[in-house]
Parts: sequence; structure tokens; C-alpha cells
Amino acid sequence: MTYKLGISRLDELIGDIKSGTNIMMIGPPISGKDDIANIIAYQGLLDANAAVIVSTREPGNNVLEWFERYNLDIPMDRIGIVDCVTRTLGFGAPDTDNIKMASSPVDLTGIGVKISQFFEHFWMEMHLRETRLCINSLSTILMYSNLQTVFRFLHVFTGRIKAANALGIYVIEEGMHDEKTIVTLKQLFDGMIEIRESEEGYQIRAVGFTPKPTPWFDYEIDGANIVLRG
Amino acid sequence: MIETGIPKLDDYLNGGVPIGKTLVYYAYPGVEGTVFGMQSLCHSISNGMSGVYVASSTEPHRIREQFSEFGWDTDEYGDRFAIIDAFSGLIGADSHERYVVADPEDTRSLTQCVKNAMEDLREPGVIVFESLSTIMDLCGESETLDAIEEWNQYAMLYDHAMIYNFTAWPYSDDTLLSIKEDVCDSTIFVGGIAGNVIFGQYFGVLKANWTDAVRKCVLFKVLKPGGVRAYIPKILVTGPFDAGKSTFVHALSTRAVSVDRLGTTIALDHGHVDHKGFAADIFGTPGQARFDPIIKLISGEAMGVFLVLDSTRAEDFARGRQMLEITRSFGLPVVIVANKQDCDGALTPEDILGQLDMPETIPVMPAVATTGEGVFEAFETLIDMVMEVG
Ligand SMILES: Nc1nc2c(ncn2[C@@H]2O[C@H](COP(=O)(O)OP(=O)(O)OP(=O)(O)O)[C@@H](O)[C@H]2O)c(=O)[nH]1
Ligand SMILES: [Mg+2]
Repeated sequence: MTYKLGISRLDELIGDIKSGTNIMMIGPPISGKDDIANIIAYQGLLDANAAVIVSTREPGNNVLEWFERYNLDIPMDRIGIVDCVTRTLGFGAPDTDNIKMASSPVDLTGIGVKISQFFEHFWMEMHLRETRLCINSLSTILMYSNLQTVFRFLHVFTGRIKAANALGIYVIEEGMHDEKTIVTLKQLFDGMIEIRESEEGYQIRAVGFTPKPTPWFDYEIDGANIVLRG
Repeated sequence: MIETGIPKLDDYLNGGVPIGKTLVYYAYPGVEGTVFGMQSLCHSISNGMSGVYVASSTEPHRIREQFSEFGWDTDEYGDRFAIIDAFSGLIGADSHERYVVADPEDTRSLTQCVKNAMEDLREPGVIVFESLSTIMDLCGESETLDAIEEWNQYAMLYDHAMIYNFTAWPYSDDTLLSIKEDVCDSTIFVGGIAGNVIFGQYFGVLKANWTDAVRKCVLFKVLKPGGVRAYIPKILVTGPFDAGKSTFVHALSTRAVSVDRLGTTIALDHGHVDHKGFAADIFGTPGQARFDPIIKLISGEAMGVFLVLDSTRAEDFARGRQMLEITRSFGLPVVIVANKQDCDGALTPEDILGQLDMPETIPVMPAVATTGEGVFEAFETLIDMVMEVG
């Protein structure tokens, strides 16, 4: 049971990712982290995994629309979204098979319940043994709750990722948090996907999977593909 | 006494929570714990009491929606229901609630509201906290523990009962221990059966200082609408050919499917029951001997068994007994359903028990599956036996 990111050059360099791995993805705003997070989730769907996406900045429907926009034929029975936004906008939308509503990004208890319900459903009813959890993003959750609270939440859920042999991806906005926050949270993760700004645009690398970090790669996002150069 | 409204729990607590006492639902993260407090509140209010809900992680308007998703209409409660809004202040939103916490990050601000609400509340009333953990996250662990002590004293003074929802995130060991063992008169553990994923939920009494509480665990499910239901994942319905097993499953169920051909079951019947606080999944076997291998296959892990007999066909009773062997049901709680009581020549339950070579203690319940007569009585009898063992 191993995972691939769906980011070709990085996958080649770091090899298969062990089940139970928790990865932090950190980078500056508008560097395409949302797209990259969705691309990683999409790779999971291609590999017959289930994908659970916790969306804190966009309504769940927008996340589904991303897949539709690029005509990706996604298996709806293997995708689950925990929507932390719609309810805060004052819409009384009910849960659907694919989208479960949390009250707000403060409601970590509720978010935790919804994640667990999707995990149970995929494991017990669909008999899927590989699931990806993608939290996009921790930065929003950190805006509403303090570091300790988020740390406790992640402590529990990175543990659940291990128990379920799943893959966890946690997105963080660079520059929004102090050094202590990043250092504290890093302890919980097995590896990182780092993004930085360069003269040409943005670069990406993977850290913690191989003895040395991979080189930095320039990249471009083309629809639902990420193309690495160099 | 204030009933919790959670199935079985009031029995285990010797009636519920006495006035002036306090209870905490101590929930494992990821398990549906919040509904416990909500259900206890609505149960009390429908019994004519007044109640206050302390909202700390959800907007009041959303809270009312959450209640109504479970089928509890807070508008109907009128002024017997109020919200202490300890959320809006956090996100800088306006609030129209009767009690608004000016600074949700300060327990003193919250205590003031709790006190005001308690004074206004007609006693005995019940105060339910949506999430003690959120308050702890915002105000600090020791500050919150101190505040709880203060609130609990007011509760005693004003003759109200306090009910807290708490999610056991990895706080300091001391904090977790205090919540679990010290701060409240009773602690109800709401846990998950954890393997690779949490695949079942249960609750049980950890402590209750007013009674010798029953220490049993109850599996539960949360239904919308409905709320917390004690849950029995598998009840088997077996019996001879044509006894009325499929009819019985359908009579009990809110939803059911059967795999039948030409009126006889060739694989199984499956139904969901939701009755008086209990939810169960029931599985009916075929009856014909040629399906015995299938019968064996579907009968594992049952928690209780109905043996359905056609009361007019004494010649089939031996087959019925044999089916209990095939399904390896001995040792499990068994209720015999003396079906087709409407037919001429139906034997009485007493006669049937006399003709069966089985212990006298096994209940034999009369029923007419086609009209539904007696089926829920049989269900209640079996549930009692299952919960007794559990
Ligand atoms: N009069 C009467 N008829 C009944 C009663 N219960 C079931 N029946 C009838 O008995 C027949 C058999 O009922 P089923 O429910 O299919 O019996 P079964 O035990 O599932 O049968 P198999 O799966 O073939 O073993 C049907 O025609 C039912 O309508 C009852 O209480 N009274
Ligand atoms: Mg049948």
C-alpha cells in the first residue's frame, strides 16, 4: 500500500510514499496550492483511492466544480468533502452523499466527526483500503483557533491517518503564521512539499522523503496538470 | 429528576440526573458526541421544563437548524428555550439572542451570562453546553475548570441540572482526568470502536455519584431525524419454510429488501428497524433446507435471534429447532414468534413451548406478521434480552 502524488518528477525522485504518511504543503499565496492539492486528490481517484477533502475557503460545490471544469471524470462514490464554508455564509444546505457540512472552521469537533464518517464509509461500506485526506487549509483553521487547539486536532488526525494507512496532505499559507507556529506543526508531519517564489514564477520541491531534499523545480499549472521543468 | 432522553441511559442512571447535579458527556474525537447534549435538552423541554443551550462553536441560527435536522423544533418551545451566544462575539457578528457573551475568550464574561440565565430560568431547568472543549480552547484549561466549578455551584443553588458536551482532545492529562473523574457528578463516556477507522460508536456510564449506576456499554447510531438510538447491528430472523420470516422482517422495518424468487427467500431479507429509541439491522434467512449453506453464511455475529414458527404447523417445529443449531444460535438471546395466530388451528404460545424441546425460559410471543400484530412486542422482548446480556 503506497501512494503517488501525481507530480511526475517529484514522484520519480522520492519513490512510493508509505501508507500512513502525513505531508505539509507550504507556499506563498496564489502559487497554485489549491490546484496542487486537488491534483494530488485527483491522482488518488485515478489510483482507485478514496479522497476526503476538507475545504475551509471554498464551498464544497466549488471543489467539485474544479474537477468538472477540467472534464475530469471522477468517481463520485469515492469522493467526500467536508465543507466548512457554506454554513458560515448563512446557507442552510443539507448534507449530500458527497458533501458534509461543518458549522464553521472553529467547529473542530464537527469537522472531526465528518472526516471520521467518510473514513468509516469508505473503509466499511466501500471496502476501500487507500484513502487520501486533504485539509485545505490549516491556515484558515488557525485564523479561528489558537495553535494549541489546532495542534491537538492534528495530533489526533495525523494518528488516524496512520491507523487507516491513509495519506494526509495539509496546506499552509506561507507568511501568514509566525515561525513558532510552523515549527510546532512541523513536528506532526513526515514530509513537506515546499513552494517558493522565484524570478520566473514558482518552484516546488519535496523534503523529508529522501535523505536530501529534492532539487527545486520550476512548474506550471496547466488545468488539472502540473508540469515540472528543469 | 431530569431525564437524559438517551435510550437505556436513564435506566442505568436510576432515572436520570437529579436536580442540582451535573453530567458530562465525555466524547472521543470523531464520535458524534454533540447530539447527546442536544437530545437531553430537547427531551427535558418536551417534558415541560425550561432549558438553555450554551453555543460556543456554532452560530445560534445554525444551532436551531441543527436541532431541526434531528426533528426538534425549537420554535415550538417558545420561551422555554434560550441560547447563550458565546460564538458571535468571536467572529464579530451581531447577535439577537437573549444572552450574549461579550468576550467568549474570557470565562468571567461567560459566567455572567450563565448566572443571568440561571436566575431567569424557571426551576428546575437544564443548562446544556454545546462544547466545553471549545471554551477550554478559547479560555484556557485551568480557567475553564475553575469556571465549571463555579457554574456547578450555581446550578445547585438555583436547582438546575448541568449537562456538558466535552470532546476529549489531547489536553493535559490532569485536565482530562479532572473532567473525567472530578468536576461533575456523573460522566458518560461516548466512545468509538477503533480499528483502522472508527467503525462503531458506544456509550456507557463511567461514574454517577447518586446511584449504583449500571456499567454497561450500549452501541449507538445517530439518526436524522431521530437522534441517538441504541443500536443492535445484527438480529437474525430464522425459522422453517413459509413460516412468515420475510413478512415479519417487513412488518418490523422502516425499510427492507428481500431476495426472493417465486415467493420464497433464496438469499436473505434485510431491514432497518427504528422503534422506541432502538435501532437494529435485522437479517432474515431462507427456510428451505436446500439453502442451509447460505443460512450458515449469513448467521454469524448476530446479537439476538427470532425463531419464527407457523403456529398451525407443529410438524415443522423440529425443523425450527434444527435451524437454531444451523445458525449457531444457542447461547444467544432467542425469542420464538408464534406466527399466523389468525389462522384456524393455531396453537397457543404455551402449547408451542410444550411441544418444543427447549428451555421454559424462552419467551414465545404470539404474532400475526401480515397485520403487524405482536411484532413490536416481540422486538421489545428481544431487545431487552440483548441489552441485558450486553
Ligand atoms: N394468515 C397469515 N398469513 C401469513 C402470516 N405471516 C405470513 N403469512 C403468509 O405466509 C406466506 C409465507 O410468508 P413469508 O413471509 O414469505 O414466509 P418465509 O418464512 O419468509 O418463507 P421462506 O422464505 O420461503 O422460507 C405468505 O403468503 C404470507 O402472506 C400471518 O401471520 N398470518
Ligand atoms: Mg422468506
